Amino acid sequence: MSEVKLTAEPRTEFGKGAARRLRRAHKIPAVLYGHGAAPVHVSLDGHATMLALKNSNALFTLDVSGKTQLALPKDVQRDPLRGIIEHVDLLIVRKGERVSVDIPVRVVGEPIGSAVVVGELSTITLEVEATRIPASVEVNIDGADVGRQVHASEIVLPDGATLVTDPSALVVNITAGQSDTEAPAEVAEVETPEAEEA
Amino acid sequence: MLIPRRVKHRKQHRPTRSGAAKGGTTVAFGEWGIQALEPAYVTNRQIESARIAITRHVRRGGRVWINIYPDRPLTKKPAETRMGSGKGSPEWWVANIKPGRVMFELTFPNEKVAKEALTRAIHKLPMKCRIVRREGGEA
Repeated sequence: MSEVKLTAEPRTEFGKGAARRLRRAHKIPAVLYGHGAAPVHVSLDGHATMLALKNSNALFTLDVSGKTQLALPKDVQRDPLRGIIEHVDLLIVRKGERVSVDIPVRVVGEPIGSAVVVGELSTITLEVEATRIPASVEVNIDGADVGRQVHASEIVLPDGATLVTDPSALVVNITAGQSDTEAPAEVAEVETPEAEEA
Repeated sequence: MLIPRRVKHRKQHRPTRSGAAKGGTTVAFGEWGIQALEPAYVTNRQIESARIAITRHVRRGGRVWINIYPDRPLTKKPAETRMGSGKGSPEWWVANIKPGRVMFELTFPNEKVAKEALTRAIHKLPMKCRIVRREGGEA
């Protein structure tokens, strides 16, 4: 997993006015917390943070007023229309500490014929060392036929990782594609045209 | 077409058009989605039309999700009637869509076909939209 060095400047003024001033200066307001410590409000460089957050679970090495701190992004708030990052929650971690993180599931291979690969879970939760977080876990569906189901327990985990997600959870489902005549189940259920007053 | 089976009140006030979507702004089920860029009332006929446009283009081998539901009735007074005498009769069922909302989702192995299917669906909708991909998907 990539490790990114960022400089964090402590924030002294708060509220939407101050946050907007920061964003206009191409910075991102963030908060750093964890391990029972008091939360520290910081601002990060906008462009560098945006590039770092392109990798899920990127480990940040933050320089907060001369003190180095390891942190993982816990929550990222984005504007749904403009796509800009509005705020980041950072969780303090220590070297060697085991953390629960959501790892993206990558489906590789092609199923047989016109079968459709439906990713029921896009991420699975693993407990791993904070400094050794895998970028993704692979599910191989090469040559799989309709009806094949891959559960969380069947996924090959990286070394040292423990599965936190329910082992019986369905991750990938190979189904037959729907034809143009049949409506999805959600539609068929509500097709009775009775709008009556109770 | 999508119509509520039972409703508590047959006639409602017009839904508010201001603001942005608070939830449902990311692709949650499929690989591709249609995101609204403007507010609009989307009728059940438009939803059905868009769904048909997608399923007819992808034919077999895809899966479609509809994330919106037309649960708000809009009323209309008959033509050439004088004002007053109460509210008109329910005419349409609409979903009140705010900018940012992901309305349709699609899973299909071929990117080109998936995008074309969603483009055809966008032509059936009453607002500006864009095609979005699941976050964390391969760029």
